[in-house]
Amino acid sequence: MIAMEVRMLSRRVAAVFAFGCAIACVLTTPLLAHHSFAVYDHTRTLTLRGTVTKFQWTNPHAYLELDVKQADGSVKHYSVELTSINMMQRVGWRSNMVKAGDQVTAVIAPILSGEPVGLGLEVTLADGTKKELPVPAAASFKRTTETQ
Amino acid sequence: MSARRIIGSIAAILVTLVLLIQVAIHAQTKPAAQTPDITGSWERYGFVPGGRGGAQRDPTIPPPATQPALKPEYLKEWQAKAQATRDAAAKGEPLATNNVHCIPEGMPAMMGAQFPIEILQSRGQVTIIEEAFTQVRRILLDRPQKSLDDVEPGFYGHSVGRWEGDTLVVDTIGIKEEVRFQNAPHSKQLRIRERLHLVSPTILWDEITIEDPVTLEKPWQVTYAYRKMPDYTLLEYICEDNREYADEKGLQKIRVNPGQ
Repeated sequence: MIAMEVRMLSRRVAAVFAFGCAIACVLTTPLLAHHSFAVYDHTRTLTLRGTVTKFQWTNPHAYLELDVKQADGSVKHYSVELTSINMMQRVGWRSNMVKAGDQVTAVIAPILSGEPVGLGLEVTLADGTKKELPVPAAASFKRTTETQ
Repeated sequence: MSARRIIGSIAAILVTLVLLIQVAIHAQTKPAAQTPDITGSWERYGFVPGGRGGAQRDPTIPPPATQPALKPEYLKEWQAKAQATRDAAAKGEPLATNNVHCIPEGMPAMMGAQFPIEILQSRGQVTIIEEAFTQVRRILLDRPQKSLDDVEPGFYGHSVGRWEGDTLVVDTIGIKEEVRFQNAPHSKQLRIRERLHLVSPTILWDEITIEDPVTLEKPWQVTYAYRKMPDYTLLEYICEDNREYADEKGLQKIRVNPGQ
């Protein structure tokens, strides 16, 4: 019962944050991406440590596919949506920076639907280099310490 | 005078006339010596939320855009759509836009330059490319505008332009009614007038005036500023694998690929 109330409260908080983001997005229209990121939770982030199965270098958005080992030993697959590769290139990303088999850490804003999908905000590459993603209004995504 | 000499004289006159006509045509189509050089890559510059004011009185930053003065029957639709867009985003279920279907913005939204633009000046034409969706518009110089009935509607329309001193004055018609700027409805009579001019050696303005006697009470003015990107070459952009889609309710969703 309490857990349900907590979940409802957290959804309400998420909705308030999303609304705030929507207003911010309206006010900062030229900074908007072509595609809305309102499907992602603006109230928390999840830090994934996993093995890359694919680094999809495409437009409109790139994707990082990750196998993440769970506490019980099973593997959960996550799809991490990144931004346009054009935007990524303008801030120094290259297609050869990540390859299948690499161990990386990704900070994601999880999708509100609960599916194993998130918006990549930051990736620590196999060599330890930390790379931010040029997500428009990135500051509107509240960073938290939850790991997976 | 012999017939041969007469024919020779006529031929000489004709050759001279042809040469003169060619020179005249050449002079008309050749960019004038004083035509500003705006060729190159440019990025959107100087956007200040809420407009310039307070400490932000940089004269190279354009004034804030005005809202479309839509006629009441169109204003209602526009406001309802804006509210629905905000409500859907607040619920984490944004409405699908054309971009979700990899459909480009068209005119005049492409001049908002979410990604850099490239301007190319060639004889008789100015070409503008927007990196996102590889959008291209062609401004034909010193040509008469066609009539509305003679232009098939499209995303970029039919643009003609001329240099008035240091300003490139452009007139565009023929934008599809489905191609909307800031979601505002428009009719076939939409006309986009632009005045492109440098406000400093590295800052270019595009003063856009949108006219539509059917949907607008008065012209709608928007000015965009761009900063020169001297070392930037536009990147390719192909909407190659879009996992976003619109569901049956028109909401933006993401296709999950668990098997990747």
